[in-house]
Amino acid sequence: MRLRRAIPAALTIILLLSACREAKVAHYRVPKEKPPTLPPAMAAGSGMADASVPTAQGAGLTWTAPAHWTAKPASAMRRGSYDVKGADGAVADMSITAFPGDVGGELANINRWRGQLALPPIGDGDLPQVTTTVKDGPLTFVLVDFDSPQGASPERILGAFTSYDGNTWFFKLKGPAPLVEHEKPAFLTFLQTVKAP
Amino acid sequence: MREYWKAFVDFFVSLKLTVVLLALSIVLVFWATLAQVRLGVWGVQEEFFRTFFVLARIPGTEVPVPVFPGGYFIGTLLLINLVAAHIYRFQFTWRKAGIQLVHAGLILLLVGELLTSLWQEEYQMRLDEGQTRNYSESYRDNELAIVDTSNPKYDEVTAIPDQLLKREGEIQDPKLPFRVVIHRYYPNAALQMRNRVPNAPPSPATTGIGTQLVVTPLPLTYKQNERNLAAAVIELIGPEGSLGTWLVSTQLAMPQTIDYAGRTWALTLRFARNYKPFSLTLLKFRHDVYPGTNIPKNFSSQIRLTTPGDHNDREVLIYMNHPLRYAGLTFYQAGYDGDHTTVLQVVHNPSWLLPYLSCALITLGLLLQFGVSLTKFIARRRSAA
Repeated sequence: MRLRRAIPAALTIILLLSACREAKVAHYRVPKEKPPTLPPAMAAGSGMADASVPTAQGAGLTWTAPAHWTAKPASAMRRGSYDVKGADGAVADMSITAFPGDVGGELANINRWRGQLALPPIGDGDLPQVTTTVKDGPLTFVLVDFDSPQGASPERILGAFTSYDGNTWFFKLKGPAPLVEHEKPAFLTFLQTVKAP
Repeated sequence: MREYWKAFVDFFVSLKLTVVLLALSIVLVFWATLAQVRLGVWGVQEEFFRTFFVLARIPGTEVPVPVFPGGYFIGTLLLINLVAAHIYRFQFTWRKAGIQLVHAGLILLLVGELLTSLWQEEYQMRLDEGQTRNYSESYRDNELAIVDTSNPKYDEVTAIPDQLLKREGEIQDPKLPFRVVIHRYYPNAALQMRNRVPNAPPSPATTGIGTQLVVTPLPLTYKQNERNLAAAVIELIGPEGSLGTWLVSTQLAMPQTIDYAGRTWALTLRFARNYKPFSLTLLKFRHDVYPGTNIPKNFSSQIRLTTPGDHNDREVLIYMNHPLRYAGLTFYQAGYDGDHTTVLQVVHNPSWLLPYLSCALITLGLLLQFGVSLTKFIARRRSAA
């Protein structure tokens, strides 16, 4: 008889337990987490600094930045970020980003950069005139170099992108035209250091 | 009154009820199998099995109506039916001992499934080679983490689960010097840079990276290879007024920070975390394929398990069908991402033994039942001879 009462009681308790899972705000203390891996600050006097940056999808491309580029904290959108300073105090911005897929394709990406310099979009037929393809090991970079229309402070974008492991990686140097022109050799040398792990 | 009670008991102990419930469960399983194409495994479990009723929307509206009994409904009635029949007809004789054991095994199986659905927790742990982690992350649940990072040694975390975020209300927590107002919660959303979206509406965010982003709500995805990426618009309000409105999203890996009341707080919407009193380090991930193909042959993770104070510091190898069982958790080799990242499935299921016990009971019961029948049959043949 006891058993006959005990079983329904046990079932009722189980069903009631299901109602006890109310969501609550949790509080806990955890050891400090290492911040997401960012390009380390350039060590003074070192020739080049290694900057190995894993992507959200796992280990990504690695590169070695020129010593005179100053690493900035990578933002949510950036895998790498540098200030490139000129002698006259001018600063250009070097950004390294990666997005899944082809991000709209070659033409869309190039026109996006052109839009940032207030340049009109180009068509498919113009691509061969504005792009240069550089193959470096398993990576093939598409290179572009755009000047903004002449104004008080003309800007220039030196950009490259490549596909790796299902993502498209963008390397963009944007800033005052004379400074970007001056940095072009460093940028091209930098691209040669970009490696797949 | 007695007649009513008798009718009530007769209904629950009747074999007809068992047959009807079994027939309904066959239809439910068949329907759910077809729906799996559209909803995926997780969606089917939620919409067909872990629910009392299968719901459908009235065409042209968002009003849900029950159209078929769900897994919980059928399972609960089957359990009641089985237990009631067991109690009502219980007679202990050796002849019936086998049947009793089989039924006890079935009851245990149903109870086990109920407990699993209530208690089981599934998380995943992604580790890059050389990386150490002391927490796993949920596949589907999110949390808003408001972390006081002022102390140089540790972080004080206040985690608000997405069940509360979905209510889009105000949360006053005694550990926080401000109120958290959830203006909008999007269970799945896309983020785009504002300069790429012409005619985008003004950003609800007044500070942080959200001011440069446009959030677009997306329908929930149930596909196994896709994840819902949530976003929310939250405002922090101190005694002297609003401290700002932020857009947070699981797509934004970097926390957004705010300095207030002499302390620094980091805001992140992230996959819900489950911290452990130990940590795992991925030493080496191996991913072998059959020669000349991309078909995985074997993948394994060499892990170092460490507890604070060096009570435990050992290496383990986790590979297919050889999980690590530790501290009530089971770590399965679930997947990989590239050649240097492993994905472990972390399962906490206090009732994991019940299905094994119930199968053992059912086997024992069947052996006993057939054994008794066989013995009788042989004895009868002997006496006839």
